[in-house]
Amino acid sequence: MSKIILLTALGLGTALSAQAGDLHGKVACKGVRDSANAVVYIVAVPGKTFTPPKEHAVVDQKNLVFIPHVLPVQVGTTVDFKNDDAVLHNVFSPDACCSRFNLGTWPQGQSRSYTFANECQATLLCKVHPEMEGFVVACPTPYYAVTKPDGSYEIKNVPDGQFTVKVWHPKLKGTQKAVKVAGNTEAGFEIAR
Amino acid sequence: MIRVPSQKPWSLVHSLALLALFLGLTTPASAFPIFARKYHTSCVTCHTVYPKLNPFGEAFRLNGYRMPQETEEQIKQRAVSLGSEAYKRVWPDAVWPNELPGNAPLAVNVKMASVYNSATDASGGKTVVHNDFQFPQEVNLFAAGTLGEHMSFMAELTHAEGPDGGSGTEIEHARLGFESLFGPEHAFNIRVGKFAPNLYAGFQEMWLMTDNGVDSLFNYNPVTFKGGPVNFADSAGIVSLPARVRGVEVYGVLNHRFFYTFGVSNKIGPGSGVSTNTFDASTSGTAGNFGANNHKDVYLRFDYKFGGMGLDGDTEGVTLPPENWREKSFRIGLLGLKGNGTGIDFTATDVNGAISAPDENPYHMQDTSYTRAGLFASWTYSDLNLFGVYLNGKDTLELRSADNLTLYSSEDRTYKAFFVQADYVIAPPFQVSLRYEKLSPGDTSVEPVKTMNINFTYLAAANLKFMLEYNKSDQAGANGFGTNKSINTVLRAAF
Repeated sequence: MSKIILLTALGLGTALSAQAGDLHGKVACKGVRDSANAVVYIVAVPGKTFTPPKEHAVVDQKNLVFIPHVLPVQVGTTVDFKNDDAVLHNVFSPDACCSRFNLGTWPQGQSRSYTFANECQATLLCKVHPEMEGFVVACPTPYYAVTKPDGSYEIKNVPDGQFTVKVWHPKLKGTQKAVKVAGNTEAGFEIAR
Repeated sequence: MIRVPSQKPWSLVHSLALLALFLGLTTPASAFPIFARKYHTSCVTCHTVYPKLNPFGEAFRLNGYRMPQETEEQIKQRAVSLGSEAYKRVWPDAVWPNELPGNAPLAVNVKMASVYNSATDASGGKTVVHNDFQFPQEVNLFAAGTLGEHMSFMAELTHAEGPDGGSGTEIEHARLGFESLFGPEHAFNIRVGKFAPNLYAGFQEMWLMTDNGVDSLFNYNPVTFKGGPVNFADSAGIVSLPARVRGVEVYGVLNHRFFYTFGVSNKIGPGSGVSTNTFDASTSGTAGNFGANNHKDVYLRFDYKFGGMGLDGDTEGVTLPPENWREKSFRIGLLGLKGNGTGIDFTATDVNGAISAPDENPYHMQDTSYTRAGLFASWTYSDLNLFGVYLNGKDTLELRSADNLTLYSSEDRTYKAFFVQADYVIAPPFQVSLRYEKLSPGDTSVEPVKTMNINFTYLAAANLKFMLEYNKSDQAGANGFGTNKSINTVLRAAF
C-alpha cells in the first residue's frame, strides 16, 4: 500500500513539475511615446539547455525601415535580412556581441543571413540609409516576447518554477527580477531612462 | 524686432530716430509659436505675457529650447532623423547622427501700432503727432528649434515700416547653440552668432512685456566728448550697451540655481555696415552697434536665484502654485562688460553738434577703454515681479584731429543708469507694468534723462495681445531736449 502511495506521489510530482503556463503582464515604459518594443525574456531554466531552432527568422527592409523594429530570437538562430526596397540596402551592427558583422550591400529580392551565436542585443544599421535602425535580441532561452504599444506581453508555455526575467528596451534602461511561475502568471515591470 | 519707437521728433535726433526705424533699433520679439506647435502646448506655458518668460519659460530657454527633463512623449512633432542614434558608436566611420525639426520651424509675429506723440525740442518747439496708424509697424519671421540632443538654433528676420512709409528689413538674430556638451546637464553651453547675450537675461527688450525697451541702458549714447549729447537720443549706437552682439558665449546653470555666462563679441561701435571705421550718421544704429576693429569686448555675468523654480526647471523640494507665473523668489546678479574702441572714430560732438577744427573738419573721437558694471535684481512675490538694473559706465575718450594724426586730449567719463520695473498680473489676461529709468550721462553739464513707462496689456488670447502704453521722457536744463510723451496702442499677434 505504501508503495502505491509513493508511486502515486511521484507520479503527481512529475506531472506537476511538467506543468506549464503563460507568463504575461505589462511593461510600463516611461519617457517614450508608447510601451512597444520592450523584450521580456527568461534568462535561464535550471538544468535545461535549448537547441537553436532550424527555422530562420526574418528581418525585412521595406520603405527604408527594418521590419520588425525589434526581433527577439533564441541564441543560435539564423536571421535572414531581406531587401524589399527598390534601392540597395546594407545591414551591419556596431556591437561586439555579434562580432560587428557587416553583410555588405544587396538589391531588392535578395537576402543575407547572420547567425546570432551569443546572447546579444544587436543594433542593426544600414550604411546606405543612416536613419534606419533595428534590433535583434538573441535570448538564451526560447521564452521571450516583445511588448505591444500598450506594454502587454505574453510568453507561452513557460514551465513552472522560479526564474530571473529580464526586460530590455532600445532606449530605456533594462531591468530584471525574480518571477515565480505557477501556471498562468502575471508579472509587471516599469522601465525608464 | 526693429523697434519703431514713438516718433520722437527731437530736432536732429528725429532724423536719427527715423533711421533707426528702418535700420535697427532692434528689440527682438521672441515669441515662438514654433514650440507651441512642437509640443502642442499654449504660449502661456512659457510666457506670462509674451515675450516675458515665466520661470518655466526661462528654464526652457536656458535648456536650449528643451523642456526640463524632456521626454519623447512631450514632443508631438516627431523630428526627422539624420542618422540612427546608434551611429554615435560608429563615429568616425560615419557622420555623427542628428535630427531636423519635423515641420518647418517657422513662426510669424505681426505688430500694428497706433501712435500718439508729443515732443518738445531744445528750442521749445513742439511737435504733435496724432493717431499715426503704423499698420504694420513690423513683421517678424522666426525660425527656432532643436537639432538633436545638443544643438539648437534661432533666427529672426524683421521687416519694419516707418511712419513715413519707409521700410527696412534686417536679420536680427542668427545663432547656433550647443547645449550640455559635457559635464553635468545644463552646466556648459555655447552660443555662436548674432544674439541677445545672456548678459542681459531678464531685462533686454526680448524678454520684456512692454512695447518700449529700457532705453536708458541700450538706446542712448551716454558719453560725448564735451558739452552735450547731440546724439543723446533714442538711438542705438555709439557706445551705449549693445542690445545684441556678434560673438561667442558660454553659459550654464550649476546646482539648479547658479547661473553664469561669459562671452567675447565684436566690440561696441558705431554700427554695422561701417566699413570705413568712421562714424557716419547715416549708418548709425544699424543692426546693432557693432564695431569693426580688431578688438573684442568681453562680458560676464553671475546670478543666483533664491526660491522658486530652479533656473534649469528643477522643482525638487519646492512647492509651486498651479499659476505658473507665481513663485516666491529672488534672483540677483552681477554683470560686466569691458572693451577697447581704439581705431573706431566717432564724430566728437557738443551741444551745438559736431566739434570742428579750424579747417571745419569735425574732430574725431575714440573710446579707447570702456567698462560697464552692473547689478541686476529680480524679486517675484506671487503676482508681482519687481526687477531692475543699476549700471555704471566708464569711458576714456580721446579727441583727435580730423586726419586722426594728432591726439589733442584725453578725458575720462563716467555715467550711471538704472531702471526699476514692476510687472503685475491682475489676472492672466490683464497685466500691468510700471517702469522708471534714469540716465546720468558722462558729461556732467548735461542733465539726466528720466523716463516713465506705463503699460496695460490685455492678453486676448494666448497668442494675441493688446497693449496701451504711455511713455514720458524728460530732460531738464539748458542742454536738454525737453519732453517727449507718447501713447502707443499696439495689437500684436503671434502664429
